[in-house]
Amino acid sequence: MMRVNLTLKPMGSWSIPIEAESIIPANFLSGTDLTVWRGNRELGLEEAFSVSVVGGADRAEDVEIVLAGKTARLKRVGEYMDAGKITVLGDIGMHCGNFMTGGTIEIQGNADGWLGREMGGGSIICRGNAADYCASGYRGGRKGMTGGRVEVYGRVGDFLAENLAGGTVIVHGDAGDMPGAEMRGGTLIIHGDCTRPAANMKDGACYVYGTARWMLPTFRNLGTVRHEGRTLIQFTGDVANRGKGNLFVGNYEYLD
Amino acid sequence: MTELLVKNAHVIDPLSGINGETMDIAIRDGKIVEEVSAAAEVIDASGMLTMPGGIDSHTHICGTKVNFGRYMSPEDMRAGRTPRRGPMHATSGYSVPTTYGNSYRYSVMGYTTLLEGAMAPLEARHTHEEFTYTPLQDTMANTLFDGNWSIMEAIRDGDVKRVAAIIAWTLSAVKGFGVKLTNPGGTEAWQWGKNVSCIRDPVPYFGVTPAEIIRSVIEANELLHLPHSVHLHCNNLGTPGNYTCTLGSLGLAPDLNPRRQTLYATHVQFHAYGGSGWKDFSSKSEPIANLVNMRPQVVIDMGQILFGRTTTMTADGPMEFNLYRLHHEKWSNHDVELETGSGIIPVIYRRKNLVNSVMWAIGLELALLTKSPWQCLLTTDNPNGAPFVRYPEIIGLLMSRRYRDAEFATIHPDTGSRVPLPAIDREMDWYEIAVMTRAGQARALGIQDLGKGHLAPGADADVAIYPIRIDEVDPSADYQKVIDGFSRTEYTIKRGRVVARRGECVVHGSNSTLWVRPKVSENYDMGKDPEFVEKFDRYYTVRMSNYPVQEQYLNRSRCIETETEL
Repeated sequence: MMRVNLTLKPMGSWSIPIEAESIIPANFLSGTDLTVWRGNRELGLEEAFSVSVVGGADRAEDVEIVLAGKTARLKRVGEYMDAGKITVLGDIGMHCGNFMTGGTIEIQGNADGWLGREMGGGSIICRGNAADYCASGYRGGRKGMTGGRVEVYGRVGDFLAENLAGGTVIVHGDAGDMPGAEMRGGTLIIHGDCTRPAANMKDGACYVYGTARWMLPTFRNLGTVRHEGRTLIQFTGDVANRGKGNLFVGNYEYLD
Repeated sequence: MTELLVKNAHVIDPLSGINGETMDIAIRDGKIVEEVSAAAEVIDASGMLTMPGGIDSHTHICGTKVNFGRYMSPEDMRAGRTPRRGPMHATSGYSVPTTYGNSYRYSVMGYTTLLEGAMAPLEARHTHEEFTYTPLQDTMANTLFDGNWSIMEAIRDGDVKRVAAIIAWTLSAVKGFGVKLTNPGGTEAWQWGKNVSCIRDPVPYFGVTPAEIIRSVIEANELLHLPHSVHLHCNNLGTPGNYTCTLGSLGLAPDLNPRRQTLYATHVQFHAYGGSGWKDFSSKSEPIANLVNMRPQVVIDMGQILFGRTTTMTADGPMEFNLYRLHHEKWSNHDVELETGSGIIPVIYRRKNLVNSVMWAIGLELALLTKSPWQCLLTTDNPNGAPFVRYPEIIGLLMSRRYRDAEFATIHPDTGSRVPLPAIDREMDWYEIAVMTRAGQARALGIQDLGKGHLAPGADADVAIYPIRIDEVDPSADYQKVIDGFSRTEYTIKRGRVVARRGECVVHGSNSTLWVRPKVSENYDMGKDPEFVEKFDRYYTVRMSNYPVQEQYLNRSRCIETETEL
């Protein structure tokens, strides 16, 4: 096992975020001679972080990266990661786990926008809240997340799991507006409340255990079903998009 | 005075009758000359394949429609990003790249002249502004007249000279080059919630048929002695069984011009479909190629599709709306006042899809079954069939039966029973490819006299030198070498300067825009015609005086004045 401890050095008066797509387990198999970017300046890893490596590994699966310090503005950590583990002790910046295909990212604090965007596999656990576009697609794309698992214990912002095409997304708190918009596959589970779920969905399953407010009128009510000890109301739609998705809600309210 | 000498070039220059001679090309001040002084800069082409700069006679690279394709597809902008490098600006985009992206990628492939396939007259300024930022190619714009109210009224009244006069005024005003008819009458009919199914359906209100529009506009085009013929996108694009309509449309073309064709039918692949629906969809390339073989007055271009992601964009509004109803993906449609319209949809052509597989075969069949390469030019209707960066693959497919068979083995298994492609043995040679990618274009567009598409003394010094030694490469077997060679020139020379070298553009560049001003008599000056002026003031959202594109919008304006019969 190899454990890489990275502690972000105080950024002083800098407000420019650091882009750190190089921080993935596989890259540390060949040492710590990596770079990150702050604006248009390329920094050596050691310039931005206090680095310590314990143990060794010859495959990415055996590498764990632990990020400490004020990492709320550290972007693109874990982008394209395929194995191993990243643990973030505090908050993490935008685009964490973009395109990841394997391994695990665990965030003890909150995550900023675009957590796990377009991921294809692996798992992300966020103990705090996640901001907008969690587990979503990107501008204009047809497919968002295609596989893997994202679990958020707190709240999430708007456009959760937009364009979801595969995999599982679980949120234990509330979600914002438009979760599961343009869904075409996969499973989205929201334990709390949300507004306007599953707009324009084509396929897949969206569960809202709490109340779906501003419920869209373009879903057909199929009656109640039992699901894992709960009684939920099943809808199908989005009829406006010839969709065949399933939306299950605990309660719903239409917009007056 | 700048001089350049390209030594030991292995030249194929069909318009000059040169097929594979090793020779030197002398260049002075942007023109090909007989000889240069000893002080000239020397490029040793050492036996490499050298041709006139490539010409694309139908591509969509600039204008409102293309730009709408850009901003409705941010995902396309994520592909093909390149950083700033030397004189090259940063670029992005794959099927609808930024203007610099288009210009650099064309230049690296040896292309020096481009014709934007469809410019709505009202939106011409945008096209010309984007031309300015397409610096490494000379540009021209086909101007849309398919749904022009005044023209349709003149046709209804049987006044071909008035049709010609309106075309003359509009081309001069918007700095257009040629006359484009896109689904003539169809986009106007669509504004009434209809379409025209073929050339005999009348357009609502105006009461004229597409056949009448095509015939009258062809006559008007020849009255004006325009360099290019009418450029036609037939009715009924993309519908099973539409080949009969295409045959009917091509059959309308009289033989009026000894120097070039009288009708240029574009992206004919999309118009060569048999069957009564998608279930019995099949190729009808044979009857179309047979008709073209019998009619020297017709030139077509392929409109080849290649598998992968791209964006469809056309002035054919109803067609794009039908495509939207088929795919139910994002889509845009647009109306251009008294003139035309447009639509845009991103698509993916898939090998696993039978219809797409048949379409792929049809484009190749049209090229292979048309006997004269001068009559079937190489295009993808960029980006409708595929982005132009994939032209070299098409060259590979046309030159190698083995490559076609290898590709054929990967497409939908039922394709074989619906297309004649597997029975075609023809493999094109270097000379035919040179015709299909530059010489044929120059002749069809009528720009060989302006020094385009050939390397005779006096011609523009637009030269493409490809790293291919044609006596060492067997295109039939080494098709990958052909593809690689045509993808990246050793040198691209534009107006006597090396502009691209081994995949890198080395200068900022500055293009010319070619446009046409037909000289008409006072009686036919539409700017003074009370009825035309009144119609303009009444229905357009812009004033007639604000409508013409000022010459300041043109970078290196190159006006072609024509003597007309008006």
